[in-house]
Amino acid sequence: MTAPQIIENILQALVAGVLVGSLYGLMCVGLALIFGVMRVINFAHGDFMMLGMYAAYYIFTALGIHVLFGNGFGPYVAAVLAGPLLFVVGYGIHRALISQVTGTRTLGLDGEGHYAQLVLTLGIALILQNGALIAFGSMPVSIRTPLSISAWELGPFWGDFVSVFINKSRGIAALISGVVIAGIALVITHSRLGKALRASADNPVAATYMGIDVDRAHRVAFGLGVAITAVAGGLLATTYPFHPFVGLEYVIVMYAGVVLGGMGSIMGAFWGGMTIGLVQQMSTLVLPTQLQNTAIFVMFLLIVFLRPQGFFGRVVERT
Amino acid sequence: MLTIDRLDAAYSVLPVLKGVSIEVAAGQFVAIVGPNGAGKTTLFKTISGIVIPSAGRLVFDGQDLMSVPPSARAHLGIAHVPEGRQVFPSLTVMENLEMGAYTAAGRRAWRSNLDMILTLMPVLAERRHQPAGTLSGGQQQMLAIGRGLASAPKLLMLDEPSMGLAPAMADFIFERLIDIRRQTNLTILLVEQRVAEALETADYGYVLETGRVVLEGTNATLRADDRVRQAYLGM
Repeated sequence: MTAPQIIENILQALVAGVLVGSLYGLMCVGLALIFGVMRVINFAHGDFMMLGMYAAYYIFTALGIHVLFGNGFGPYVAAVLAGPLLFVVGYGIHRALISQVTGTRTLGLDGEGHYAQLVLTLGIALILQNGALIAFGSMPVSIRTPLSISAWELGPFWGDFVSVFINKSRGIAALISGVVIAGIALVITHSRLGKALRASADNPVAATYMGIDVDRAHRVAFGLGVAITAVAGGLLATTYPFHPFVGLEYVIVMYAGVVLGGMGSIMGAFWGGMTIGLVQQMSTLVLPTQLQNTAIFVMFLLIVFLRPQGFFGRVVERT
Repeated sequence: MLTIDRLDAAYSVLPVLKGVSIEVAAGQFVAIVGPNGAGKTTLFKTISGIVIPSAGRLVFDGQDLMSVPPSARAHLGIAHVPEGRQVFPSLTVMENLEMGAYTAAGRRAWRSNLDMILTLMPVLAERRHQPAGTLSGGQQQMLAIGRGLASAPKLLMLDEPSMGLAPAMADFIFERLIDIRRQTNLTILLVEQRVAEALETADYGYVLETGRVVLEGTNATLRADDRVRQAYLGM
């Protein structure tokens, strides 16, 4: 390989890493609200994402979004619309089931109710996976857009050599993801709702003394977290085929991203997901594709070993 | 304003409050004193709805508190400054005060209340953008009191504001309470182990021992009482 070719390969992997990393980052932000901020274990999070993918698929095909917005942009509109829909689903499931093992009910319990959360959400995960298998079948499907087979070309930077291709579909998905993350970060840091969520997570009893309905805060955070990850799923579905068990492939990435970024930090979770995307794509330069995930976890272990609180971890102790 | 009538409360089977009756009139400063384990903090938690009483009545401003969920009680005008401060450690000083002003009344009076709080305790203004978890114990106590005031309450409940503080800092906190009282004429219910200071600042006092009110009276009566003088004032 010549030097320009090597540089081109590195740049191309870097771009691919940023593009897929921004979607991983978005899913991680969804989980960070539930696991990082509210400290609720949700093993069904990957399966809520799977629901988001199917929601986007059916919104696109069955609701006539493809007629209204065309095959080019329709899938993105559908992915964004999957958010509110899954917010309702997440909010409802929290109200009916998860509220039994979170919030004020678990005050003073051993392990903040984590054992019950683990068992309950694992059960929900199984029901969602097998329910989806019955409802949607086991055939992998994907949301097709003509944009996924066209690309923007940057360059050439070095005479006739070194140009980078950005897949249009992934590029648009990354842009939408950036906008959603910026919006969520603003809500969490600056809005009354966001502050109430953080206060409820910091000290649920004191939050109750302030007049904050802590159980409602938990429901809203859960719904929001599910909705954000569903949007990420919908965006991912425009380039990757999916099936009812696709959640399992991503839930580990999400937990790794949240821990990498630092528990409790929304932006940290985004950078955690971004790091995973970058490492995954860069590793293909030197490792066979089958070892992508191994590379992720070697890096994960290294970072946890060197910086246990994560990139943006809170140094402040919880009382 | 607040009527506590023959209140019983227990942790599983262990009784903590046994027929406690306490009356707080509007504008009054009432102190509840007593040794460790007398049930003072449990009494406050019962008023805030964190502990559910097994018998008795709680009436605030003519409303039966039993029918009001815990998170709605702050909105009625009850501010609870809890034992051990319990500020929100990852939120900044300002965000803690904003959470204090979560009630509609607090939001309406936000500007003027914030001025008052920062004038009373200027150190909070200096540290306004710092996470509350990085403050010293005394500063956290000031923040907890400020957070209570920010809700524009009708009743301010203070649970051992001097706990764990150096004597000079505890004195400072007591002086601020007297300032607050003078400026706002707020109804205050104070629980304290520093009996001398508590009885000095309050209009009326109750002595709680092992879950029962054993003595009550105006501050002059209590300070003149032989039992109080011997057991609490060391005279």
